[in-house]
Amino acid sequence: MSSVSITGPAPYIYSSTRMRVRKAKLIGHDEYMRMLNMSLPEITRSIEEKEYKAEIDELASSFSGLDLVEVALSWNLAKEFQNVLGIMPGLIKKFTASYLQHWDIYNVLTILRGKTQGVSAGKIKEVLIPAGSLDRVALDRLLAEDSPERIVEALSSWSLYPVLEREFPAAMEKGTFGDLENELFKAFYRYILKQTASGVKGGKPFRDYLKLEIDLLNIKTVVRLYKGGVREDVRMLMVEGGSFSVDELIRLASSESMEEILEGIRKRYPEGPIGELMDSADKSMPLHEMENALTRVMLDQMDRISKRYAFSICPTLVYLMRKRYEVANLRAIARGKESGLPGEKIAEFLVV
Amino acid sequence: MAVETMTIEIVEAAVATAAGFKAIGAGLAVGLTGMGTGLAQFGIGSAAVGATAENKEMFGLALLFTVIPETIVIFGLVVALLLLF
Repeated sequence: MSSVSITGPAPYIYSSTRMRVRKAKLIGHDEYMRMLNMSLPEITRSIEEKEYKAEIDELASSFSGLDLVEVALSWNLAKEFQNVLGIMPGLIKKFTASYLQHWDIYNVLTILRGKTQGVSAGKIKEVLIPAGSLDRVALDRLLAEDSPERIVEALSSWSLYPVLEREFPAAMEKGTFGDLENELFKAFYRYILKQTASGVKGGKPFRDYLKLEIDLLNIKTVVRLYKGGVREDVRMLMVEGGSFSVDELIRLASSESMEEILEGIRKRYPEGPIGELMDSADKSMPLHEMENALTRVMLDQMDRISKRYAFSICPTLVYLMRKRYEVANLRAIARGKESGLPGEKIAEFLVV
Repeated sequence: MAVETMTIEIVEAAVATAAGFKAIGAGLAVGLTGMGTGLAQFGIGSAAVGATAENKEMFGLALLFTVIPETIVIFGLVVALLLLF
């Protein structure tokens, strides 16, 4: 079969333009603020007028209320990411697929957890988001397996299989998949950092961004551990590859006070948005507020590099991130409304 | 007599050389501007196809942007025609 040329800058210009158009269609700040004053049926109608119409229409006969919104959002996210993978040419597709692997981790762990707890395949399927390289058909095949061991065997061609195979027996012995999840995410970051050197345009700035993302992920873990009062060995929980070494992170996690942690972070990031956040933060700052602020820093940084490297892999990745957070925001609004939370409280959990 | 014949031959050769250089100049004018147009259009074309794939209403505007670099090759053509005629 003949194919068009997929080398040179043209594929990047093509894909970046498509992703920019899609990013412009995402829900904006004002729209979220309007939704905060709506009831759940009104929110459902509002998102039906956006990009979620096909899913809401299709699922309206099977689900209602919060379930309808939740499942429609998951379906839309999966459909959108699979569509993005489908339209990307050559190396961009390969890199995007590598980046979307974190959805595979989520899906595989959900299936393993569901199966070990005896949850029916239908129920597990409802919460899967087939947005990665393991599509709906591959996940259905995994769901059809009758034991977790057989599921692991069926994943032998998956790029993270060596880690899964190594950690799975210990996870089954312990009865918890937390450590397996940590190891899979560490392997994912190692893999994606390696992929940034594969010759993809924008690989270097994205590698710098990934380092920031790993740092912020570790910072979030350190703050969570401190707030949760955990003072054990936390080496297993830290992801390598950021600007903080694992030993530095362990020292930070064993700090006596929140001020000490903030000071440690400020020393590494004296300027810029993280430094400013550390200046304004104090020990009374709620965890979710700090986490959201760090996520915003992450997204802003990605936005900045996608503008600076306009025709590279970055505009595609920034769209994928923004879309992911749009779905998370809509889910937060729907859940908040269902629980009867006031609009101002829900707004604190949005990443806008 | 021999001197006159030589002079006529030299003048004829000079005229022929000038016509040849003009033809080369015209060819370069169209060829180089054509390449310039191509270079400009491949980027705009890729973006135009991407934008149109996302939003069909963009087609007219995208086509307009894509043909703007055609002006470069038209200038080249005009220069070539001026050289030749």
